[in-house]
Amino acid sequence: MGDVILTMKGIDKSFPGVHALDHVDLEIRKGEVLALMGENGAGKSTLMKILTGVYSKDSGTITYEGKEVEFKNTREAQDAGVVIVHQELNMLGHLTVAQNLFIGREFKNGIKIDDKKMIEESKKLFDRLNVDIDPTEIMSNLTVGKQQMCEIAKAVSFDAKVIVFDEPSAALTESEIEEMFKIIRDLKKKDIAMVYISHRMDEIKVITDRVTVMRDGTYVGTLITKDCTKEDIINMMVGRVIYEDPKTHSMVPADAPVVLKVENLNAGKMVQNVSFELRKGEILGFSGLMGAGRTETARALFGADPKESGDIYINGKKVDINSPQDAVNAGIGYLSEDRKRYGIVVQKTVAENTTMATMHEFMSGLFINKKKEKEVAQKHVDALATKTPGVDQLVVNLSGGNQQKVVIAKWLTRNSDILIFDEPTRGIDVGAKNEIYKLMNKLAAEGKSIIMISSEMTEILRMSDRIVVMCEGKKTGEIDISEATQENIMNLATREIN
Amino acid sequence: MEKIKQNAFVKKVGFNRIILVAVMLLMYLAFGAMTGGKFFTVSRLMNIFNYVYFLGFLALGVTFVIATGGIDFSIGPVMFCCALVSGYSFYNHGVPMGLALVLCILVGLLFGVWNGYLVAYVKIPPFIVSMASMNMAKGIAAVFTKTQSVSWPQSSEPAGWYRTFVKSGSFPTGIVLFLAVAVICAIILNKTKAGRYILCLGSNSEAVRLSGVDVKKWTMLAYTICGILVGIAAIFYVGAYTTVQPGYGDQYNNEAIACCVMGGTSMAGGIASIAGTVIGTLIISLLQQGILALGFSKDYQFIITGFIVIGAVYADVSARRRKN
Repeated sequence: MGDVILTMKGIDKSFPGVHALDHVDLEIRKGEVLALMGENGAGKSTLMKILTGVYSKDSGTITYEGKEVEFKNTREAQDAGVVIVHQELNMLGHLTVAQNLFIGREFKNGIKIDDKKMIEESKKLFDRLNVDIDPTEIMSNLTVGKQQMCEIAKAVSFDAKVIVFDEPSAALTESEIEEMFKIIRDLKKKDIAMVYISHRMDEIKVITDRVTVMRDGTYVGTLITKDCTKEDIINMMVGRVIYEDPKTHSMVPADAPVVLKVENLNAGKMVQNVSFELRKGEILGFSGLMGAGRTETARALFGADPKESGDIYINGKKVDINSPQDAVNAGIGYLSEDRKRYGIVVQKTVAENTTMATMHEFMSGLFINKKKEKEVAQKHVDALATKTPGVDQLVVNLSGGNQQKVVIAKWLTRNSDILIFDEPTRGIDVGAKNEIYKLMNKLAAEGKSIIMISSEMTEILRMSDRIVVMCEGKKTGEIDISEATQENIMNLATREIN
Repeated sequence: MEKIKQNAFVKKVGFNRIILVAVMLLMYLAFGAMTGGKFFTVSRLMNIFNYVYFLGFLALGVTFVIATGGIDFSIGPVMFCCALVSGYSFYNHGVPMGLALVLCILVGLLFGVWNGYLVAYVKIPPFIVSMASMNMAKGIAAVFTKTQSVSWPQSSEPAGWYRTFVKSGSFPTGIVLFLAVAVICAIILNKTKAGRYILCLGSNSEAVRLSGVDVKKWTMLAYTICGILVGIAAIFYVGAYTTVQPGYGDQYNNEAIACCVMGGTSMAGGIASIAGTVIGTLIISLLQQGILALGFSKDYQFIITGFIVIGAVYADVSARRRKN
């Protein structure tokens, strides 16, 4: 293991309502792969965004190659050799691979862009990394895996000395991951330091040298990967939080009626002939890789995006759902993975958000009965233990977990019987996470039916009664929780691709 | 400073609004001083009021549109179109005055529905829709009147009763009516379902849509309310000045929008204040009359209004950035 190339010390960062990072330390050495572990909301991404200049820190120091630095934007970080490979691909689909690799720093021939040189340079880069991609190919024609390789190639092309991988494997199949590992091992030999963020314990054991664990925005500790067990890491990640016991069998009574039946739902490439049933009081997990079409299925079912065909039955009766309005009237509520964009109106109060879907029940003649509105909102704040100074508080000032509770309150006010939770704990801190789990279990026990889309395997296994697995827009299987394992889910999740 | 901001009264009324009122009073005194007191006469005050009426109704209307995150650049020319079509009908088609006034509001309403439909249901950007409507309004008015200007009846004529909306004897009825409509607008915006949804969808229309709300309907309603208020503005315009000419009205778009943003309505949508719009209208009207009283041409006012729009929007944008 080489010398220390980068040290972050006492990094502190607050957002409205959240203390995201509380004096966090991190140390990266040349030629090593450092795993950065922690549950959703532990602060890994925030820390990496501060490192690469996306966010500015409130306090603390970053020392890079012996000098204190503060990157004001990603460009400055890139120029210094600190780059990040994002989980979401940041590629422009309609451009060629070569154009994407050199975007913003194109080679010029006079005032003309020198496409030939860019293609040549791309070839050299791919040769060096031993990947087989044609630089003249249009980006959107590549598989997700190949696009990820391009992202990595782009990172390397900046003469990177430190590369951060933010969940690079979330959309990759086993063989693609293997290919990526080959590149990473190669980069190690070139003395490049890497930070690897992933939730997949097996990968951590295979590819990383050390593990730094974060929890709740704090630094917990660092272990040598080969000297520790999975359990050691999990214990450090989870800490004081005691999670709901994972289900070993379905909690749904055998005679529970089917409340929702979806038949041959089609909506573009991402939703092809999807059929499934949801029973009363059931938590139906939707598992799959990133881009498997789970969110698209939920949105098509909810009427948020147009569907091409497919029948939807609620309590045995066929319903026409062509807009979210139809879906809400049919008793479905949708909790998006992206709460800020699709779930809440941040500039409005807790009370106003709570009654958003139920305005008609809060009218006294022409006017809104604000007193009743606040009472109902307060009732839900108490019942869900939402942390807010009051129902008049703007939702923007609440933490992710509490914002999620406001969205839940919105659908409870509407009395929706079918709730679609899309990544229910994304961006929610560890303490609040279990509260959301408890709440979901309670809702299910009370007879609500829940569809839960999750990319976290542990969450799927912990919460679901039954699991639907999707891959590339198709449903590839269905597993009862009593038979579910990481392996058989992963097999189904990559079935179409392999 | 912080202490003042935390004061209960200041908090309730709003610190920015107090500043605006102070600016308004200072402006009034300054113009008075610069014109050697000529600015303080009753007739000058009436002139200011005349300007406040029609501009105020335009600004109230466009406040609803801006609250949805949209924009309407057609209000000025549409106002002229309303006044021209109904005035021309009064003289040349024998439409009685009462009906002409209804027609005036109806034309505004139709433009509002048209703009709202295109924005909400056809999903054409508001900027484009209102630019097109602006030219259509000018065109329709010119074709309808055969490019003649129209002079509405004087107070002395039998049909001149409509002018009592503006002034009854020496009493400025207009200010009472304007404030009454402003109060109704404030109630709609803050106390009704329509206002709630208009503000919410201006802040995050996708979240509102996914809550099962008919976002299209409420968006269209905002433009429709705007259209009605533009029709009313037209009545007050002719009530004050009687003569309207086809091909004009553009300058009032900017002024009305300036009134809104100055009063704290955010161009990004979601935040709107009727009280702010009223104060903004008073300031812009004062400015207009002040500049004239000082002997400058109206062109100077265009320049100043331009700067005010940019300044107010800049203040809004930078406040937003600080928050994030």
